[in-house]
Parts: sequence; C-alpha cells; structure tokens
Amino acid sequence: MSNIEIPEEQENITELANESASQKFFNKSFARIFKYMLTRLFTIGIAVVVGIILTIFIANWGGYLDEIKKATIAEQVGISVRENPALRDLPADERTKVIQEMIAIQERRMGLDRPFLTRTPGYLISALTLNFGWAPTMTSPSGSREVRLIILERLPATLVLFGTAQLFLFFTALFLALFLSRRYGSTLDKIIIALAPASAAPAWFYGIFLILFFAIIFPVLPFGGMVAAPPPLTTLGYALSLIEHLVLPVLAILLSAIFVSTYSWRTFFLIHSSEDYVEMAKAKGLPSRMIERKYVLRPTLPPIIMSFALTVITMWMGGIVLESVFVWPGLGTLFFEAIGRGETAVILGTTIIYAYLLGATLFITDIIFALIDPRVKIGTGGNA
Amino acid sequence: MTNKDILLEVENIRLYFRTGAGLVQAVDNVSLNLKKGRSMVIVGESGSGKTSFGKSILRLLPRNVHTYTGRVLLNGTDIMTLSDEQFRREIRWKRIAMVPQAAMNSLNPVIKVGVQVAEPLLVHGIATQNGIARELAMKACQQVGLPVDFLDRYPFELSGGMRQRAAIAMALVTKPELVLLDEPTSALDVLTQANIMNVLKRIKREIDTSFILVTHDIATSSEIADDAAIMYAGQIVEVCNASLFYREPYHPYSKKLMASVPTLRKDKELEFIKGQPPSLIEPPRGCRFAERCPSRFKRCSEEPNLFDVSDGHKVKCWLYS
Amino acid sequence: MMNSLKLLIRYPAAVAGVLIIFFLITLSIITVITIPYSEAIRLWRGDAETWQESPRTAWPEWINILPWENRSTTQVLSSEETGTKDVRALGEGISEIEIELPFQFHYDGFPTELTLFFQSVYGERPPHIELTWINPKGQELKIGTIEGRGAHRLSIDDELTRKLDGRPAHKGLFLDTDDNRPLKGEYKLKLNGWMFAEEDNLDVRLVVYGQVHGLAGTDHLRRDLSIGLFWGIPVALAFGFLAAIGAQLNTFMLAAIGVWYGKWLDGIFRWLTQVNLILPILPLLIMIGMFFSRSIWVILGSVIILSIFGSYYFVLRAMFLQIKGASYIEAAKAYGAGDARIIFKYLMPKIIPVLLPQFVSIIPAYVFLEATISVLGLGDLHLPTLGKIIHDAHSNAAIFNGQAYWMILPGIILLVMGVAFAMVGYTLDRVFNPRLRQI
Repeated sequence: MSNIEIPEEQENITELANESASQKFFNKSFARIFKYMLTRLFTIGIAVVVGIILTIFIANWGGYLDEIKKATIAEQVGISVRENPALRDLPADERTKVIQEMIAIQERRMGLDRPFLTRTPGYLISALTLNFGWAPTMTSPSGSREVRLIILERLPATLVLFGTAQLFLFFTALFLALFLSRRYGSTLDKIIIALAPASAAPAWFYGIFLILFFAIIFPVLPFGGMVAAPPPLTTLGYALSLIEHLVLPVLAILLSAIFVSTYSWRTFFLIHSSEDYVEMAKAKGLPSRMIERKYVLRPTLPPIIMSFALTVITMWMGGIVLESVFVWPGLGTLFFEAIGRGETAVILGTTIIYAYLLGATLFITDIIFALIDPRVKIGTGGNA
Repeated sequence: MTNKDILLEVENIRLYFRTGAGLVQAVDNVSLNLKKGRSMVIVGESGSGKTSFGKSILRLLPRNVHTYTGRVLLNGTDIMTLSDEQFRREIRWKRIAMVPQAAMNSLNPVIKVGVQVAEPLLVHGIATQNGIARELAMKACQQVGLPVDFLDRYPFELSGGMRQRAAIAMALVTKPELVLLDEPTSALDVLTQANIMNVLKRIKREIDTSFILVTHDIATSSEIADDAAIMYAGQIVEVCNASLFYREPYHPYSKKLMASVPTLRKDKELEFIKGQPPSLIEPPRGCRFAERCPSRFKRCSEEPNLFDVSDGHKVKCWLYS
Repeated sequence: MMNSLKLLIRYPAAVAGVLIIFFLITLSIITVITIPYSEAIRLWRGDAETWQESPRTAWPEWINILPWENRSTTQVLSSEETGTKDVRALGEGISEIEIELPFQFHYDGFPTELTLFFQSVYGERPPHIELTWINPKGQELKIGTIEGRGAHRLSIDDELTRKLDGRPAHKGLFLDTDDNRPLKGEYKLKLNGWMFAEEDNLDVRLVVYGQVHGLAGTDHLRRDLSIGLFWGIPVALAFGFLAAIGAQLNTFMLAAIGVWYGKWLDGIFRWLTQVNLILPILPLLIMIGMFFSRSIWVILGSVIILSIFGSYYFVLRAMFLQIKGASYIEAAKAYGAGDARIIFKYLMPKIIPVLLPQFVSIIPAYVFLEATISVLGLGDLHLPTLGKIIHDAHSNAAIFNGQAYWMILPGIILLVMGVAFAMVGYTLDRVFNPRLRQI
C-alpha cells in the first residue's frame, strides 16, 4: 500500500466557517430563531384563520350567523328608538313601523341582502375579534351580556385548570418515564405497560368515577365548582379552597393521560438509550446521572415535546365535558350551557377561542422546539 | 520481553450473550499481549467477535450479557477485578479510550463538539476549569488537524471525516495509555479514509500511546499496525508481527485472507474462501475453520491450541504444533 | 409478517383484548338479531305505554345477590291471571263486580310506586269501584272510591296520602311498626263495584313497582336500560370501526396521491395537516350537530372528513416515501412479477405493519368521540347510544340521587371496549415496530 498524501480537506461546510467572534454567532443565532418564530406565527395564524372560516361556514349553514346579526340589529334599533325622544312617544303601531323600516335600512347597510360569500370577510373580522353582539339569555360572571366578555371572563378558569394539570402531567410523566427506562422489565414497568390502555378513556370519564368515590361515597373532596361558595375572603383561604377544588379534576386529567404518556416516553428513552453516542458517553467514563441527563434526556426532548403537544391538544377537546362534569366555571361549562340554551353566538365564540388556544399551544411548542433543538438555531437542513 | 514492556495482557476472555435464538459465544477464550508504544490490529470478518472483544476491554457489555470472564492486566493490574464505579473513574478514558466506528451517531447531536471533546477532562478531574479544558481540547484538535472553530459547532454541521477527527481528538485529550479504534474508517469514503489514516500515522509517530485497531479492512490497517491478531469465529487464530503477517501468514485462514486482498505492485489472482463462518451460537467442536480449510486433516476435529511458532508468533493450527 | 402475528399470542394483554372484542362483537350480533333495529327504536322511544309497568330509575336486579340486599321487584297482578273475579248481574244491565288481587311481599325494601291499570269496557257510566287494602296482619283499610277506567296512581293520590299520615301509598300501605321495613306476608287488594251496562266489562292490573328491575335497571322514562346498553354496543363498535376505516382509507389515498404527485401537492397536503391540527374538532362537531343535523351518519361523515388530514398523514407519507424509493419494486417488475404478486409479496408486508396497529388503536378514540357528543346531548335523537344514557343520567343528577348504576354501567362498557382495543393496539405496535422489539 503506497503512501498517498492527500492535502487536508478543503471543507466549506457553512457560510459561518470564517466566523470567529461568538458575539456575531450569537446574534445570527438569535436572528434565526426570531425569523423562525415569525414564520411559525404566520403559518399558524393562517391555519387559525382557515379554521375560523370553516367555523363560519358551518355556522351559517342554517343561516344562524345572519340571525345573530339580525338579532343584534333589532336590539340596537330598539334601543336607539327608545332613546330618541322624537320617536319614543309615537303610538305603538307607528313606532313598530318605524322600527321595522330602520331595521330594513340597517340590514341593507350591513349587506344582509347580499349573498353570504361576500359578507364572509366581515364575519371573519368579527369572528377574529370575537365580536358577536349580545347573548339573549346568558350573562358573564361580571354581569355583562356581551358575548365577547362572557367568553373571555371564563377563560382564566379554564387556563388555571388545564395549565395546572398539564404542568403536573408533563413533569410527572417525564420523571416517571426516565425512572422506568432505567428499570426495564421491572414490576413497576410491567404495571405501567398494563395500565397504558386505560388512557383510551377521556378525562371526563374518570371524573365521573372520581366524583362518585371521593365526593359522594367518601365525601372528602368537593364535587364541583372552582372555589367554595361563598368564596373565602382571605387570599390564603381562597388559594386553599382553589387547591381543594382542583384536586379531583386535575386527577381525572392525569389518570386519562399519564399512563400512556409515561409508557410512550419511557419507550422513547429506551430507544434513545441504545444510541451509539450513549455508549460513547459510557465509554468516556461519564457518571450515569450525567449520561441520563445530557445524553438521554436532552436528545429525546424534541420528540417528547412533540408528543406532549399532541396530548395537550387532545386534552383541550376533552376538557369540554370534563368541565361540565365538575361544574368548573370555565369555557367547557360555558359551551355546555350554551348548547343547552341554543345560544349560537356563544357557541361560535367559544369554538373560535378554542381555535386560538390550539394555535397558541402549537406556537408555544414551536418556540420550545426552537430553544432546545440546535438544528433550528443553526438552521441547517429541513425544519420541522 | 520483560513484563514492564507489556502494556496490556488479556487472558482467557469469554463474552457470551443471550439472544432469542440461543447463547452467542461472541468472544471465546481470547488471549493476547500488547507491548507499550506498539499498535496492534485485530483483523476479522463481520461476526468474528472482534468488535465485541474490543468493547469488552472497556467493559462496554451488551444489555443481554450472560458470561464475562477472564483477566485483563493493564500495566500489571487486573482491571477485571475493579468494581464498576472504580472502573469508570480510573480506567475509562483515563487509561483506555475508544474511537468508535465512524457512524453518524457517535456524537451527541444536541451538544457542541468542543464541549464533548473537553468533557472527559472535566469529568475525570484532569482539568478543573472550563478554560483549561478548552485549551487542552484545542490542542487535541490541532493534533488531529481539526480546525479549532469547529469546537463551537454541533456534530451535524461536520462532515464524516471531520467528525471522525473530532472523535480521535476526544480520545486523545486525556492522554490515555491505550486507544481502541473500532473500524475507524469503514464508514468513510476512500479519500477521507486516507486522510484519517494519515492522521493516525502522524499521531502514532508523535505520542506514546498504544493503539488497538479493530477492523475488517486489511488494506488500510497495514499502514499503521506493528502487530496483528486475526480473529475467526470468536477465537484468535494467529498473532504475529505485522510485516510478517502481511507478507507470509501461517494460519490457513490468514493465508486465504491475504490471498483475497489486491496488491499494488504484483500481479495477483484473487482467491476467495468457500463457505460461511460458523454460527457463534453452537460453534462446532474442534477447529472452527476446519470446514473451509484446504489443509484440513484428521486431527482438526480436535480443537488446536495457540502454538508458539517463534518469538511473539502464535498460530492456532495443528499444522504448527 | 405472519411471524409477527404469531408473536401476538405471547402477550396476555393482547389475547385478553381480542377475547373481549370477540365477546362484544358476538353480543352485538345476538342483540341485533333478537331485537331488530326498528324494534329497538320503538322500545327506546319510550312511549308511555311500552314502559308503563316498569319502575322509574330502578337499580339492576342483580344487586340482590349481595347478602344484605333484598330490594323489591316489580309484581304485576291482574284480574285475569293471578286474581279472582266475580261478576254478578243485578238486573237492568247493572252488575256487581268483585275482584281480589292477592300477592306475597317478602322484601326488605318498599315498593316505589303503586298503580292500578283498568281495562274496561263501558257505555255512558264508567264502573264505580271501591278499593280495600288488606295487609298481612289482616288489617283492612278503605282506600277510596274511584272510577273504573284508565290508570289510577295510588302513589300520588293526595287523599290517600293524607289518610296514611302523610306517607305515600307505596310506603304507607306497607308499613310495619318498624318504619324502615315493610310488613312481610300476603297482601290483598279488593275491588268492589258496579258496572252499569250489559256489555260492560272490567279487568284490572295492579302494578306494585319494585326498586330493582332487569339486568341494568331503568331510567327516568322507565326504559329498561339493558336495551340501551345492549344496543349501544353495536352502535359504538360500528361507529368506531367505520370512522377508523373511513379516516384511514382516505388518509391512505391522500398520502399515496401526495407522494406520487410530489412537490407542491404534497406541500399543500402537509399544510392542510397543520390546519387540521388547529381545528377544534369537538366544537366543530358540536356546531354541526346543532346547526345542521344530529343524525349519526352526519356525525360519522363529519368525523371522517375532519380526520383525513390528521397527524397520521405524516406516518403514511413516510411509509409511501420509503416504498417509492425502494428498488425492490423495480427489481420485481424487472423479473416480470405480476401486479398482484408485487402487491401481496412486497407492498402489503410494508403497509400492514403501519396500518394495522394504528387502525386498532384509533377505534376507541372514535368510540369515545361519539360518546362525548352524545353525552353533551347532541347525539343521534333516535338511536340508543351509551353516551346518550350517560347524558340522561347526568341531566338527572343520577350520581347525587343514589342512581350511580345509571352512569356507571354504560361507563364500564365504554371503558372495557376502549381498553380492549387499546390493549390489542399497543401490542400490535410492539410486535410490528422493529425498533421496539430491539429493546
């Protein structure tokens, strides 16, 4: 075998090959992340808009959107007539005629006599801003009958419940999965595998059983509501009452998701523990805790976050019935009530808020991805 | 050959592991010696057990390991007797390091290259501050010809050749006594192979470390090896001086191997070996190469010992008893 | 691939799951045959007549298996069968009628209602009836005088209640000295009266409504829940199955088309998948149910359409990309393999491991989706579904009224169904996913 000396490879890997100052590098990295986030925001935004358009189409299948508009017009005209001194004192049938004329004028102005498609952009704008007028039979917690407020004032309760549950779920499942991946084949491992199919049932399902056991048969926990009624006056009292009321619904959510999440993440960890770089880490003599943290957990986080995002999205949907079961004063119960009363505006609005929530979930996932996956920071190769 | 010259003494290593199909006797009673400052190549085909053997020196055992016995003397001390924790702290990377097969996957994809190269220094207490560790890492990179700004890159930004250089730098950074290279160039293209081989040759000239190169590539390993050991079906069948091995091997298998490798300056008709290596699950009794051996005779149904032929030259064949 | 299926047997969870599924399918077939669709709908509509002899919100009968439980079951006594009837003509068309309805009562629980149903034929004047109640101690109580027609609900007869010290008939007439247990023994209801025309006739049924009824109890409309439960199973299975097939098949075709035509079409599909991820599916289904139609076929169709661009699209796309790039298909064609051979020998073994586990695993998701819609009150109006039963139970505060069976029985069936499919699905995933087997 002869000795062929080949000159050092001339590599031209990235345009950054000549960068030396880490400051410049950091800026570029930051700029890349920023650009990525904007792109994602844009894409997700468009998706949300498409979803809302779809919602509008469905809603107007039965002409309900137009009815909402008409109802709003009628109410506004009624108010303006009552407040107009010139018109207020007219005899009843004349006043009615005036009202009807004004309504007709307004409807023409609003274009309700034009085909639906041309009015869609207008509806879209109102949908995006949750401008749906007033609800005939429902009021918001603060007493307003404006649909937007009815919906928005219920949002925090939902966020508290699901936010807490999701945080618990994520960290518990993560650590449990990591723990299990070290004990492959152990009894606990087998138990979790056996219990994984229990996640076929949605959260509200477990909620019913939990209420039965812990609020009725053994009445240790409240069976519904967010805080005791009347609410405690001190902040501490309020917080404690809140926690007491959170236990069962959060537990229901946990039960419905934790087994399958733990199982699938533990499988991820197991698969990734057999990667070559993990063996290298062992060969290098790194302590096992460090290996677990830097070589197993860190590289596996991206698929775990993806999987968790899907779980969260499913959870938002299951939440509607869950909240109703626990009479939790959030969006879900609102939805349920609105269905019962046939309040189309509220139903529409809540659907749209859910679309926003899902969009936000996706966006947050993408941000986290950008932060933990170096491929996004550097921008080489294809994006997610 | 005094004992002080011998860096590594491996005696009767057995590594068996369980599979669904049965017990695989991957490394079956392997013994060999390596003197300080010399490099040895362990040659064998796929499935000969050479990779398992290499890894077993570093106690990197598969999850389904069944038997792991023998003695491994590093500078006189039997490291097999050390506990796992002692082994981790004192042997791994401090005294024995490894350069893995040039796979995409040997470097952690989410940690920068420089951090990974410097990692063993910090973990084993050789450097206590990041700054010092980084200095040492840079020196190691220079040694292998890796431009230092690659220390701040992630592995996926590097080409195969660069990654392999980084792996070599990583192995050398703690100045171990022995470096194991597991198929270091098999996954690379020919040009990069030559480059890496040059790096290894240069390093061998410059530093004191001994190398064990595990490979199936007879051609490239010839450039760097001082000694050669040939593995077949989980056993060592011949150990000798590299130049002797490449010119005139004794064992019938080694002969057949050499006959199948093209040479540059001679005209040669290449031969091939009929048949397949035996399964390691139920290895045959007697000489394991007997079935395919052209020189087979009656005694081969009994397993031959590793006979001493001359100084440092051993052959596992009845022809040389 | 057959080896993989054989591996399935090694997992007890999968075997259990498969057995449960077979059991449920068999149950469904039997149910659909013995109670055909039209009959089930008729029964479930719950007209007064169908269920009038059934108690309201009664527990299932098997609760009496428990040694300390001895709840009353419904007893029907009729003048035609179990009682005695004496008619004596008094002349001028008037006849005297005397009916005695004796029955045994040995339960620890009181009846829940007491109603008399008359089947009478009369001209201008309905028969005039006097009711007398005789308890096991031989005490007689004159209940009152009524007209012998229609239904007479003794339990809500205010006068009678007043006579019984404010206790409704079904309790008051059965009281013993111990307030919590009824007197056991033979009771008798005597009806004495007159009929006023020649052709008049009178038959009466006394229904002593029990606390328990049937295999699964009854609901607020007195419907035997077992019908709803038994019919709910095939509906749920069929929905889950059809939805899974519909969605998978469509995603399959779209992925194939997307990969085949490549670049921009694939790009559009991938973008649609993102949009689909954001669509709040449940609220949309709810809106469809409210504004359009609640028929289960519409729900099924909408579910399928909304699932077509699910995240499963990516899985199938990856699979098709792999097949597209594989050279063994070209090689097979080169050696002259026919299409059928290529499909069965090369394509199917690649496709089925991807399709089958997902198919089985996704069925419970659809089953619960339909259940959720029904629980929200937007399910099909006519069909008895498990979700609907839960909805009724929830609306009637079953849990708080001691009627937990109403919610739990359909719930358990749903759970068992879901878990069975999930178990099989998980095992299939383990068997077919080579990476998982390596571990």
